Amino acid sequence: MKTAAKAMVAAAVLIVAVGPATAQRVPITTTDRYPAEEVSSGYYDERESVLPGAYQLYLQTPQSLGAFWGTGPRAAGIDRRSFAADAHAAERGYSPVRDCLDCHQGLERNLHSARTTVTCRQCHEDEPIAGVFHYYSELNPIRRHAYVCAKCHQGATANFAAYVVHEPNPVSGETRGSFPALFYVVWVMLILAGGVFVFFIPYTLAWGVRELIELLQRKEGHSHGSA
Amino acid sequence: MAAHSMMLKRFTPVHRLFHLGLVVLFMLLSVTGLGWMFAETAWGQGLMDVFGGYANAIYVHRIAGLVMLAGFVAQIVYMATKISWRRPLSNLFGPDTLAFHWGDVKDFFRHAGWIVGLSREPSFERWSWWEKFDYWAVWWGLIIVGVTGLMIYDPVLSSDYMPGWFYNVALWVHRIEAVLAMGHIFTVHFFVEHFRPRNFPYSNTMFDGGMDVGHAREEHPAWVARLEAAGTLERSLMPVPPLGIRILHVFFGYSMIALGLFLLVAALVNFGRITLF
Repeated sequence: MKTAAKAMVAAAVLIVAVGPATAQRVPITTTDRYPAEEVSSGYYDERESVLPGAYQLYLQTPQSLGAFWGTGPRAAGIDRRSFAADAHAAERGYSPVRDCLDCHQGLERNLHSARTTVTCRQCHEDEPIAGVFHYYSELNPIRRHAYVCAKCHQGATANFAAYVVHEPNPVSGETRGSFPALFYVVWVMLILAGGVFVFFIPYTLAWGVRELIELLQRKEGHSHGSA
Repeated sequence: MAAHSMMLKRFTPVHRLFHLGLVVLFMLLSVTGLGWMFAETAWGQGLMDVFGGYANAIYVHRIAGLVMLAGFVAQIVYMATKISWRRPLSNLFGPDTLAFHWGDVKDFFRHAGWIVGLSREPSFERWSWWEKFDYWAVWWGLIIVGVTGLMIYDPVLSSDYMPGWFYNVALWVHRIEAVLAMGHIFTVHFFVEHFRPRNFPYSNTMFDGGMDVGHAREEHPAWVARLEAAGTLERSLMPVPPLGIRILHVFFGYSMIALGLFLLVAALVNFGRITLF
């Protein structure tokens, strides 16, 4: 099944995107140099590759990636605290025992929280909670795949970790700037689906009414004829 | 054999098998997919419990998806063998074709005109425009839902070929296309094929393989006229299946309709309770 699935994924990708050129596959580690990552994410050397789009979640100028890769999520407007060793250091009223959602309202609206039992701190780690861009943060893009994602998703790579866990509302205007691919693709799909329903539902209802009238007329004609 | 025990052959056993496979897999994918989508609600959990819980339901969804894609490949191969490659044009533009042509556009406007009482009802050939639309909608739908489904089938494996944010996009496309397909089948397809007055309360054509000649004269007059003109109408008849088989067909068909309507209503009722992003 694995082989079949792999072949099908390869076929799927050929349809939607051109794969990376060999020269774009950047080996970022070796078994000898990063034993810790080896332990955490399994078969690293074989699998690791970084596509141009993988890191743009953390780039403030993703436009430099070009028309295709540049449509991914971008990191414009990152809060300074995201670079801090203790993101809550200057936060008055902060207490480690408070519910994260008291202040971070709405951030539980993601599939990880909604459909699994994963909690905030299982990814954002222990006190002091570091900003995700702090150099030693476990969520820092250079290691989040190995230290965080791979805890559940065995074999997670940097490419894999470019999934946006706190996904924005795809139809909101803000998403057009922060994750253009999601915004445009979802709108195109909604227009396609909406168009089909907006056309077919009234059309078939009217059609039903037309046939009903025809049926009643025929019955009437029949009863007149037999009378 | 008496005329009333014969009907006009419309679908071969292979066509019916393709449709049956599609129905079973579509419903399996709908139940497991909606269970997954509505995992936060008691209804969604109930749907997945039928399969023994979350993990099993997802597994069934993935396997059923692969089987459906295999069926799609089989359909492409089957269609390729049905085209007479020596004369592909006359084949593709002939009266039995499922390919759209200009006549379908004219038929569509005439049909719409007939509905509002502006024109006479068009005389349909073997396949009307909405039947062709339903056929090709499965192609377009399967390509969209299949490609995105494969992208998120094994995200770690896929990440060798694409960055993870593709999954954010792929999951949305997969969901919207699935909702479109289910919504269309459970409302428009069921209504047109079974509930509009001429077919009410149930059309067994796709399961029995044929339709009553009188009904065919009403629904596909140009087709019947062509067969009569060519003198092949008699040859195109097939025996009506035994009553027991027909009852089984109606029972199966109505179970699927009931399941579809249940999924539609329950999904609408529970829609406000789920986290989509």
